[in-house]
Amino acid sequence: MSDQDSARGRSAGPRGAFAIERSRIDDWVSTLLARGWVVAPTAGHGGDVLYAPVETPDQVRWEFDNSLHPPKEVLLPQTDPLFEIRGERTGWQLEALPPGKPRILLNARSCDVSGMRFLRRVHESDLPDSAYLRRDADLTVVSLSCPQPCPQGFCICCDAGPFLDDGFDVQLTDLGELMLAEVGSAKGEALVRTGNGLFRPATEQELSRRRMLEAVAIDSFGESTCHFASAMRRISTGRVVEALWDTMSDWCFECGACTLVCPTCYCFSIKDRQSGGGWQRCRMWDSCQYGAFTLEASGHNPRPHRKDRVKRRFYHKVSAQYHVRDGTVGCVGCGRCVTVCLGTTDMPAVVAAIRKGVWNG
Amino acid sequence: MDDLYLPRLARITEVRDETPDTRTFVLQLRDGPVADALPFVPGQFLELSVFGCGEAPFCIASSPTRARALEVTVRRTGQLTDALHTLGPGDEIGLRGPCGNGFDVPAARGKDLVFVAGGIGLPPLRGLIWNVLDEREKFGRVTVLYGARTPSDLVYKNELADWGRRDDLELLVTVDRAEPGWEGNVGMVPILFDMTELRPATSLVYVCGPPIMIRFVVQDLLMRGFAEDAVISTLERMMQCGVGKCNHCAIGHRYICRDGPVFSYRQIREMVE
Repeated sequence: MSDQDSARGRSAGPRGAFAIERSRIDDWVSTLLARGWVVAPTAGHGGDVLYAPVETPDQVRWEFDNSLHPPKEVLLPQTDPLFEIRGERTGWQLEALPPGKPRILLNARSCDVSGMRFLRRVHESDLPDSAYLRRDADLTVVSLSCPQPCPQGFCICCDAGPFLDDGFDVQLTDLGELMLAEVGSAKGEALVRTGNGLFRPATEQELSRRRMLEAVAIDSFGESTCHFASAMRRISTGRVVEALWDTMSDWCFECGACTLVCPTCYCFSIKDRQSGGGWQRCRMWDSCQYGAFTLEASGHNPRPHRKDRVKRRFYHKVSAQYHVRDGTVGCVGCGRCVTVCLGTTDMPAVVAAIRKGVWNG
Repeated sequence: MDDLYLPRLARITEVRDETPDTRTFVLQLRDGPVADALPFVPGQFLELSVFGCGEAPFCIASSPTRARALEVTVRRTGQLTDALHTLGPGDEIGLRGPCGNGFDVPAARGKDLVFVAGGIGLPPLRGLIWNVLDEREKFGRVTVLYGARTPSDLVYKNELADWGRRDDLELLVTVDRAEPGWEGNVGMVPILFDMTELRPATSLVYVCGPPIMIRFVVQDLLMRGFAEDAVISTLERMMQCGVGKCNHCAIGHRYICRDGPVFSYRQIREMVE
């Protein structure tokens, strides 16, 4: 409704902004549940935040530190059946699986929505991956902006948060007694319209409060400089000395956790899994940090050392060559690799070490 | 259903033993003649499915000039190739492709062509060699230099005998270790360079074999005056998807399955591992 500028970009979704009373939000979630499958942050065992299908509005969390596992599994399941295989060696039938149902992802954090935008570009580019893109098209993303950035996040360095300018269908911002809903797409518009009478157009004063929250959130990142540009130049031109990769990779335990929790990682393998009397051809998560990732049947391995694999990960994430292809670094600054790394070979540490030429592992 | 990952069904019509561990499989597509249903150029590859086991990439070993069937030559080295070797005529497999760029055949017209293959590295070049022989007048001199560990490890033995009798092709063969009855050359492939007349200025060289062989052959060729653009190889990597998505075969920002598998040595040298 307003086209005034926010702190960094356009405020208010391209299709307008609306407000709903916080006390009515459960009523809205009920209307979403009536439309179909809703995935939202829930309280898991031990208090962990888990994105999972919800059945009642009270399961949805509205104030939470981001989940350890990004909600990318909604689009990229760990095991993703592609088709059914029936028959025997002299004659096979390949059968399609029933199409997935439209789904809603509620309260995704800005970094994770940015990760999904990255994954969409990867699956659209060159040969389009129609199965992924169909699932993406059937998903409506309601993001929840981050007025209080998480301690290990650096989304601001990746243009991936704490508030979004685009990439969402609806972006919610918690204004206390109100929830502001910026609409970014026709799919988002449909969700707001579903809440018949629950939403009214946002006022200029409410939009101004949202802009203020974004400005405060951005300010809370402090004045620290971002090292991506320096690391990108050095990685892209092969000017990171080998000894530095050696030292850095000494702090990697090859567990692959950084790739499993990364919102932009998508490496996979294809395997046949027994199912009923036949098989399912499945796409399954894999990790470039595992030694067998490049192991050939002959026994030859072009990336035999841990250093080679750590180097590969950061080349894919940070090189200018991939930046040209993907339009961004392969990082959304969620900080999950900082949390899960058993050593210290996480994105901020590696990028800083490359920039300084010194590893403080 | 996702077309990118959905194989087509093909029937094995013939199996030929090449070596104790290598077989050639002749394939017909369920959905029509190869020439219409699966146009390809030499150097492209297929993702073959042995259902219940999985998928793996194999070069097309036949030529589009002889597209009555598809041929792949497979050495038994792992789970999927073990499973494939248990199949015979009448059995069905799946295939996706053709994948990858293949050789630039028009660019080779008028040139002298040298093929340098080691062991199971001949099948990826065989399609191109037959393509050249079937359009022989379009190309200059044709030289095939082939080496294997032992005489038993030479693939396409009947074809090698035929090629040896042709007067429009020079064939030189060597083995690392002789066996009883072998009267030919003994030594690594580069020893053959001194037995023929190489013409760096007018030639393209196609090299395929194990990584160590490629390294020594390319070094030798460059020292003999071949330009980096005139030395062409087809690379192998661990692959899964074959369509540039899964990242297994990436070298730098290149994908062997999409940007390759055929590259000039200049392109290979510029790749960042």
